[in-house]
Amino acid sequence: MSEFLETILEGRKSQPHQLIEVLHDIQQEKGYISRKSGGTISRELGVPLIEVYRVANFYKAFSLEPRGKHIITLCSGTACHVRGANPLLNQAMGLLDVEEGEATEDGLFTVESVHCIGTCALAPVVVLNGVYHPHMTPAKLRALIKKVRRAEEESAHA
Amino acid sequence: MPKIASITDLAALRDRLLSVRSKDAVLITVCGGPGCQATECHNVSAEVRRELDTNGLGEKVRLRVTGCHGFCEQGPIMVIDPANVFYGQVKPADVGEILNRTVIQGEVIDRLLYTDPATKKKVVTEAEIPFYRAQNPTLLSQNRQVDPLSIEDYLAIGGYAGLARVLAGTEPEKVIAEIEASGLRGRGGGGFPTARKWAACRAAHGEEKYVICNADEGDPGAFMDRGILEGNPHAVIEGMLIGAYAIGAEHGYIYVRNEYPIAVVHAREAIRQAMEYGFLGGDILGSGMRFDIDIARGGGAFVCGESTALMASIEGKVGEPRPKDVHTVEHGLWNKPTTLNNVETWANVPSIINNGAAWFSGMGTDSSKGTKILALTGKVRNTGLVEVAFGTTLRTVVEEIGGGASDGKAIKAVQTGGPSGGCLPAYLFDLPVDFDILWEKGSMIGSGGLVVMDEKTCMVDVAKYFLNFLQDESCGKCVPCRIGVDRMLEIVTDITEGRGRPEQIPLLQELGETVAHTALCGLGKTAPNPALSTLRYFSEEYEAHIREASCPAGVCKSLIEYTIDSAHCDGCGACLTSCPQGAIQGEKDRLHTIDREACTKCGICPTVCARNAITVQ
Amino acid sequence: MHQKVTLTIDGANMTVAKGTSVLDAALYYAICIPHLCHLPTLSDIGACRLCIVEHVQNGRSKITASCTLLVQEGMVIRANSERVRTLRRNIAELLVTQAPNSRAIQDIAVRCGVTETRFPFRRDNCVLCGRCVRVCAEHYQARAIGFVGRGKNRRVSYPFAEKPESCVMCRACLNLCPMAVTPCDGPMEEGLEYLCGKCESMTQEPQYSVGDCIRCELGQSFDCTRHR
Repeated sequence: MSEFLETILEGRKSQPHQLIEVLHDIQQEKGYISRKSGGTISRELGVPLIEVYRVANFYKAFSLEPRGKHIITLCSGTACHVRGANPLLNQAMGLLDVEEGEATEDGLFTVESVHCIGTCALAPVVVLNGVYHPHMTPAKLRALIKKVRRAEEESAHA
Repeated sequence: MPKIASITDLAALRDRLLSVRSKDAVLITVCGGPGCQATECHNVSAEVRRELDTNGLGEKVRLRVTGCHGFCEQGPIMVIDPANVFYGQVKPADVGEILNRTVIQGEVIDRLLYTDPATKKKVVTEAEIPFYRAQNPTLLSQNRQVDPLSIEDYLAIGGYAGLARVLAGTEPEKVIAEIEASGLRGRGGGGFPTARKWAACRAAHGEEKYVICNADEGDPGAFMDRGILEGNPHAVIEGMLIGAYAIGAEHGYIYVRNEYPIAVVHAREAIRQAMEYGFLGGDILGSGMRFDIDIARGGGAFVCGESTALMASIEGKVGEPRPKDVHTVEHGLWNKPTTLNNVETWANVPSIINNGAAWFSGMGTDSSKGTKILALTGKVRNTGLVEVAFGTTLRTVVEEIGGGASDGKAIKAVQTGGPSGGCLPAYLFDLPVDFDILWEKGSMIGSGGLVVMDEKTCMVDVAKYFLNFLQDESCGKCVPCRIGVDRMLEIVTDITEGRGRPEQIPLLQELGETVAHTALCGLGKTAPNPALSTLRYFSEEYEAHIREASCPAGVCKSLIEYTIDSAHCDGCGACLTSCPQGAIQGEKDRLHTIDREACTKCGICPTVCARNAITVQ
Repeated sequence: MHQKVTLTIDGANMTVAKGTSVLDAALYYAICIPHLCHLPTLSDIGACRLCIVEHVQNGRSKITASCTLLVQEGMVIRANSERVRTLRRNIAELLVTQAPNSRAIQDIAVRCGVTETRFPFRRDNCVLCGRCVRVCAEHYQARAIGFVGRGKNRRVSYPFAEKPESCVMCRACLNLCPMAVTPCDGPMEEGLEYLCGKCESMTQEPQYSVGDCIRCELGQSFDCTRHR
């Protein structure tokens, strides 16, 4: 077992109800739940492997595939929908040539939509790497994505 | 900080705190609620702190970062006391001027003041702002007075006095009786009488019992619970303590949805401080009561707001609901008697104990007592969190508090109750905010989300939106929800794409009723509500889509065309560059045209046209 | 010594052991309530919603699944009222239009009174009844398969999509699958989907009326008492 998993599982072994917390910690650090991690978790927590897989699959917070470096989260809550969330999603998918939930080929971006992040008064909202952007428009989103891209290109050349 | 060992010690501590906090000192309050966070209020408060440090004003001027003040549209919000000056949309660059002119010299800065849209005049204090005037913010007002990360702030406004009163010698049954007399009903959407739930749990067999706070708040468009949990976590903890005492539980959980990381941080810190001061743990206030709270995080599933699914999630399983023929108050978390209540329900408990049941039941209607926090959003001018007494009309909420339409288009409907609720047309706006009356009209107050919709909102599209949402979030276990809702979505999609047939309307109705009666859990049972309410009140829009293949609101892509109006187009080319499909052609300074074949109606070009030259038909 | 409980189903009084489900009580006394996900040897999950009944209490009736409802003293149940039949018929209609390529599913539809289908046919080959998952977990403790995914994406799958060692190909799951046990004579051709009624059910008999037992194929697979 890797040192990383050892740390996460400390104090939680043989406690099946800790499964979701453990998955949260792995997701946060590694960006996804691998088959190998799944096996280790199953053994150490005492949860059947199929259950680990079920839980990882059921909850949107967990990804079974590696995700892009920059996560673009578009809120698709009611307030955002009514104030124009759809064009934003179209813009992101169109510009990056991905479907919802997918990562771009260069592994830079993942576009996902979430049902309401709780800042409805500032609809429509886009979250990029944990930073909230209120009152977004397609033009602003385009600019934002371009900015991130440029920063990536610069650091790649540096 | 040594633990507070008795009720008299608590009273002494409070007196000490109040004497230290002079009412004359200048207090700058910066709102740190969800809305203001998104407009970077932390930069404002950081700037204030920096200025106070460099100018050595820290002695005379205090800074407090609080939870949500409610007027999210005007964020970042700053209030300066004791003058009670209200500044909106404050930027870090304004801070220096504010300190110099307002704090030191006592002047108000006009450009930061709120302008009353009716009188067009500037108003100085929060109380004068129409948004706040029509509210009854008995709970939300606490947010303004406490830094959520400071238990002492909470103690200074009388925090944990309710717990002390209860532990001083009130029998648990008396506590339940008081809650019953208050008329408190669940604030999470179910509206179930809280006292009845507590009594049933108290009576249930078993030594080991649990209380749970449901902070899963999955309704899109709702962020009331976030406002309370992030802004005033101790009120929730105190409520849970009082409930645990009444029921006989020694352990509690706050289940917070994954999308609210800040709420988790604030709740964790509040628990830590409460433990430090002796409000959690063993022998609380010397009464012998023991109570601990753990935080459980959600994994991103709307269905986990359903009580049995939530409990399964705490147990580390998938959030699949189970039938409620066996009640959770008898067999809940780990099959033990469990009381699950919503954040706002718990937060109301201390005030009821402190002010008395009569104070609470004096507000509201016959069936719905007290106040309700609503998340007012959508096509309305003033968006944010508002708190009104039950009985306040929808019209008051939308017009007086909300300030009317935001885009100048006529308001058509409000959607209340999230995906379990329905849409109510404008002609019903004189209805009061009330559990039973709204239910009877085909909607419900639900958790408190209230989305305002105008002429440019297509109600069939709204039905489609909610059905899509529910289908996405359904756990999939039972046939009516998994297949039934999907078939409803199929029908509504047909209608929005011009394939609607008249016989699909009664079919949609029958299907909706079937799902409502046969689904396994609350999600499925209420899933048809949005669609059925739009059928009930907006049937003419369905007719237009079916018989005329037209979308009156101009929303449904298959039924609309985008055209560039030659009278307004100046050939700037903004639309051409923004079109992801390359469907717009034109030379500079000449009329541009849209290629109908290539156009996917993504909706981007009208937003970039400065001349409003792009119309929808 | 089991405690006994007396209840009324469709007007018939019956006494059964405490802890029995309403569905089991009814079936024991030869009142056939249609069901799909229930099997006598497995736990009940209440997923198919075919076994719904009216539970009459305090002058009100609540629709609930009878397989997950335990008997209570003095309980009044209506298993075949007009309301229940209509709801049950609609659920069966949803099932058969979703997964028509099974004699068992078609028989259920006929048994529940489906005479016309108002939705376009789809060609799912799993109705997510969960029999396979439960038999693997409860009888063999192998837990080699489980429900994965949410809503429309819910499916039966191996863990991480790989056949685990615990699966020894015992075929218990296949033997209970309503789609596999009683397959249609051939998958329906595109455009030729209909409730064909070729399943040699009793509906061919002139005296048949809705609600009668049609000695469906599904009953054969779990040794229904009426077949003996």
